[in-house]
Order: sequence, then C-alpha cells, then structure tokens
Amino acid sequence: MNSLHARYPFFEAARDAVRDADVDLSELIAAEDPAVERAHERVRRSLLEGTARSETPDAWTETQELLSYPVARILVSLLNSAPAIEKYAQAEAKTAIDRLQTDIEADDDELRSTSTVRLDRKRLLRELGLSAVIVPEPTTGPREPAWFRIDVGPYLELSSSTWREKWKLVNRELVDGQVRVERHELQKLLQKAVTNQVQAGLPFEGLENNPISDALEAELADLNRLLSQRSTVGAIDFVARELFPPCIENLLQKAENETQLIPVESFTLMAFLTGIGMDADEIVAFCDASSLDPEGIRYQIEYLKDDRGTQYPPPSCETLNTYGICHNEDEHWKQAGDPLTYYKKQVEQRRDDVTDWRETRS
Amino acid sequence: MDDRTRNYLHGRFRDYYRQATITPPPAANEREWGHIPWTAGNGTTMIRHQSQLDLGDLSDFFTRTAPRHAYFSAGRYRDPGASTMGNKGWNEADLVFDLDADHLPGVDPDETTYKEMLAECKNILHRLLSFLEDDFAFNDMEIVFSGGRGYHVHVRDESVRSLGSDGRTEIVDYVRGVALDTESLIQTVSKAGTTQRMLRNHGGWGKRIHAELLTLTTELQSMSEADAIERLESVDGIGAGRAKTIYGAVVRNPDAIAAGNMEAGGPGIRILVDAIVEQVITEQTAPIDEPVTTDIHRLIRLPGTLHGGSGLEVKRIEREELESFDPLRDAVPRRFIGQEIAVNCEQPLTVELNGDTTKLPEGVSIVPEYVGLFLMCRGDATKARE
Repeated sequence: MNSLHARYPFFEAARDAVRDADVDLSELIAAEDPAVERAHERVRRSLLEGTARSETPDAWTETQELLSYPVARILVSLLNSAPAIEKYAQAEAKTAIDRLQTDIEADDDELRSTSTVRLDRKRLLRELGLSAVIVPEPTTGPREPAWFRIDVGPYLELSSSTWREKWKLVNRELVDGQVRVERHELQKLLQKAVTNQVQAGLPFEGLENNPISDALEAELADLNRLLSQRSTVGAIDFVARELFPPCIENLLQKAENETQLIPVESFTLMAFLTGIGMDADEIVAFCDASSLDPEGIRYQIEYLKDDRGTQYPPPSCETLNTYGICHNEDEHWKQAGDPLTYYKKQVEQRRDDVTDWRETRS
Repeated sequence: MDDRTRNYLHGRFRDYYRQATITPPPAANEREWGHIPWTAGNGTTMIRHQSQLDLGDLSDFFTRTAPRHAYFSAGRYRDPGASTMGNKGWNEADLVFDLDADHLPGVDPDETTYKEMLAECKNILHRLLSFLEDDFAFNDMEIVFSGGRGYHVHVRDESVRSLGSDGRTEIVDYVRGVALDTESLIQTVSKAGTTQRMLRNHGGWGKRIHAELLTLTTELQSMSEADAIERLESVDGIGAGRAKTIYGAVVRNPDAIAAGNMEAGGPGIRILVDAIVEQVITEQTAPIDEPVTTDIHRLIRLPGTLHGGSGLEVKRIEREELESFDPLRDAVPRRFIGQEIAVNCEQPLTVELNGDTTKLPEGVSIVPEYVGLFLMCRGDATKARE
C-alpha cells in the first residue's frame, strides 16, 4: 500500500490494495475500527460541505484513510437516496481533483523532500480509461501543456448542458472530431469522470438485513438525520430580501461585512438562494457586494443542484442552531422549522407588498 | 383512398418487394421495427414494438406484408420487442439527422416545385456534411434519400452512440448555430506583459467566422481606399470613423487580423465580426429537424423500402455518388418502369419524374406506371379501369 491509494481510493490499484490487505470489512465495522469513524466523517462532510477530506488529517493512518473509502460506500448505499449518492460522488471527485492539482503544482524541491507518491495527469487519465481520448497539445519546453484535445463524444458525455455558455459545443473549437480545452477546463471534465467512477456500482445491493447495517446503526442515524432535513418546499421563485428569515439575513450581512463565511454558512446561504429559485448568474449579482467570490458561488451552486432538478435545501433551524447560525429569533421556529418553509410562508403572506428583486434589475 | 387504388398499390408494392433485397442496418436484432400497413380508411396505425424475431425472415416479411411505410429504430435495445420503452432496455442509438424540404428557410412549399425543393434540400445536405465530415470527423455515416421530401444521415461512430438527448442537443445546436456566443469565442491571452483579445480560430465556428473575416480582408485590400471604406460603412454600426480605423488595420496590420486579434482595427472590428457571425450563420447552418436527432428512440425509414406517400424508394446513397444523385430519377423503382397504367385525376397535373415531364389533363390518362404510382401515393390521382 502507498499513500497514493489513500488519497485516490477509487483507483483500481487502491481496490487491489484493500483486497491484498486481507481485511474483512464486516469485521472491521463490527470492531468499530477508526476507519468507520473516518468513513462517517467522509460521508457527512461530503453531503454537507462538498469535500471528502478529513478535518483532522493527521488523526488517521494511511490504512485507515484507505479503508474508510469502501466503508463510506457502504454507508452511502445504506442511506437509500440517489441524490445523496450523487452528492457524495461529487465530493469525492472534487477532493481528488484538488489533490491532483496540488500534486502537479508541487515543485521539484518539495518532491525531493517528501516521500509522498505523486499523481500525474497521465496516470489519472489511464485510471479513468481516458488516455486514448484526451491528449495534450504539443508544448515547447517542460512546462505543463496549456491545451488539451478531447474527442467530441467523451466531451459531451462529461460536460453538462447546465454549465455556462462557453461549454456549449457551438462555442468550442471543434477540430477533426476533437474539442480544444484549456488545462483548468480539463480539470472540470476529469472531475466529472471521477464522479462517474465513484458513482459506478452504487448503491451496493443486498445490504438490507445484513449485520453490517446493524453495526453502522449510529452512523446511519446521524446521516439520516441530515438527510431528513431535506424538506420539500414547492417552487417559490420570488426574491425579496426583506422577507428572508433572520439567519439568512445574518449570513448575508456577515458576508457583506467582508467576513469570510465558514463552509457550513456559505452552504446554508447558497442552498437557500438556490432553493428559492435563483440561478447562478442571479446569485452572483445578488451577492455582488459581499466577500463571496463568483467562482466559489458557481461551484457551490452546481454542487447543490442536481440534474433531476431536486436541490439540496439548507439545513433545518435546529441544525443551524447547533452551528450558531440560527437563534430562533422572534420564536420563528413556531412558524417553520427550516429557512425555506419560513420564507415561503412569508412570501405567501406579503407577496403583494414587496417587489421581486429581479424586477428591480434593469 | 378508394379500395381499388389501395388494392392496386398494395399489390404493386408486393411485386416490388418480391424482387427487392433489403439490406438491414447493423445490429438489426437489437432494433425495434415498425410499419404502417395498407389498411382501409384514412387511418395510419403503426404496428411497432416488434423485434427482428417477431418479423421473421426480412425478405419473407416484406413480400408477405408489403407495408405502406417501414421503419427501424435508431436505438439499440436489450429487448427491442418489449412493449414499453422502459422495458426495452436502451443501450445506445445511432445519431440521425433529418433534412426536410418543408422546413427549409426561404422555401415556400406552396410556391416551389417538388424538384426545386429537393434540389435546395441537397444543397443544405452538403452544409450538414461539411459539419459531420470536417468538424466532427465522423467515419461511419450513411446518407439516405427519404423517399419523400428530404434526406437522412445515420451516424454510427461508436463515440457518439451512447450519447443521451442532452449531448445530441449540443450537436444539433452546433450544426444549427444555436446559442452561438461571439464573446465565448474570444479569448483573452497574455502576451509579453499585455493582454490581447483573440478569436479562437483553430476550429469550430470560430474558424468559420475567422475564414470569412479573412476573405473580407483580402477583398478590402484589393479595393481602393474609398471603395473599401464604403464597403465597411455598409455594415450597421460602422460609421466613417470606425471604417477608417478598420481599413487602417487591414492595410497596415493584416498579420494581426490573420492571427485573430480582435483589437486591431479598434472597437469597430467587433461590430464587423458580429455582422460576419450573422452572415456565416445564414450561409452555413444546416436547419435539421431537431426532434429527430435528439430522440434516442426514434423510428426512421428503412432504406430499400418504398415510401407510401410517393412510391419512391428510400435509397442509400454512396458518398461519391451524392453529387450526381437525382432523387427524381435514381429513386424511381426499376420495377415500375416499362409499363403503362390508367389513372384518373381530378385536376390537370404536371409531373417531373425519371427525366421526363408528364402532363396529365383532368380525367383518365394512360401514364408510365411510376408516374401513376407517384400520383396515387400522393393522393393526387386514383386508379382508373384499364
């Protein structure tokens, strides 16, 4: 086993390493190995913050880190929720691509001073089965290539029609059946490829009534609690800041005072703004005066939306309370248990008195 | 359609199928088959959800059934005979393009003859092929005359067969130039400490637009200054000042324009490029029928069969024979040449078919059989007693 496996656990070689380690996952789970706790964190942070990284990376051994991946896959399978699987896979992919970026950018000095095995793009392409369809354009010198060419079929499979205009095929350079993409654009396509790879085979079948699910009861209860807060609020599609719930207003003010929001805060804010029917461009404009950067906003929104149109709603007031975001101002919990429902009720009551922010934009 | 006409057509279609060899598409056993029989009345009930197994031997099936119209699916399925799409188990689908003369810009079906419409459709087919061959570089393509008002192109390259509707929509938008955004085609690059806005011209629409810009540049260079400025001023939004700046760049800095620099020539160059974009879209897009391409379950006419609305053959065309292909000659079934039949027209008609022009007065005429079939299939004539 090497550190590469722990950092890129979806690789074929990492799966082999798990197998070669001769570990019985059900025994590991029954024995409450630390890998289970790390797996729990993996899924929780994936669902809530969009990253599979640990908050305390030094607390885990490479083996625990590696083994937490198959356990996390069992956990997410047991959640019995397609959107949860998708969010989880997206977070694993984002984490992997961030790591790839770090590995590639690490300069030679660093390379000599550490024993970490690094990943290069070639290896990742091979792992994803994309070596034959993604090739760098020739460069002069040893620099990283700035441009790549990807076969149009895989380009269309990996890009999404919900992405920005520049991704539309009509706006690309299509040459001899290949699409030119810049290096940073390639990262985004690779992230989708990793998402697909992580998602493949999920959910595992036949886990119900398996002793494993009993042994994971506590972890599942916690994750299900997070998921149950996915309330379904009908379409609102009305933007009036004066009707926003107090916690959302607080977050907006905090961002506008140039204070950096912590991940759960920006998650809550973006989930709310997306949930009331705003698209990425509108949110970027709406948050123009804040510390939030447009690219970060776009990433988070993409993560919050899924292709089936279901969205990740903001956490409930109760959960927000544990993060110190919601303080039950004016006892609003009596009206609604989550920000979207609260806002929907406000809009229903006062729609005629206020103007949709979108109408005030020229 | 009256019984006599219908029975006659059904019989002659059967005679055609007795001699015809139908070459099935690849993976025929994974496709859904459908046909519309010669049933009485105006009903056109399609019998579909059949697998090749349900049909049995193809040539036997066609001789027995002699359908009015015959189709196969672009999609390939695990169980093509299942009665619902969900149960069929979709695996992949050919990428199909449909050009229909009824839907071409600038063609008024009431004002244009069938021959003219088909000729215009073939022009547009060449535009489509320019995208499919040059930009997409597809290898496995089949060009088919639909037997009616247009052409189909079946693309079977493995790399696109697994695409869903979304991916296919992107391809449709590409060949139709939909949502083409000039700003997205321009890229800001750093060069020696400064930034430049460059048109991405390695391929795609950027290359097509750039090529047109270069044509114009060459044209301007060959003109007198006064003529060139007048030409530039003819573009909306370009006045004397901007025209002069652009012309200056054309004469003094042609290399920058050749490299795609969108700042040489001042802000006017962007206005010029926007005008060129409009022109290129008008001249180069192929107005394909979008739903045909994006529907991954679509049924398409089977090459080698007859089109029940024209009596013409749905005909595969070899790429090298496309130039000389004349649908009104080459899609006339040989089986129907050499005999004459009697038909009855309610009004005088002129038919251009198989290289001849046949004029029919109102009432009964004796005409070449293919002319009679063509008119009866279209509903313009009925069978008269011999």
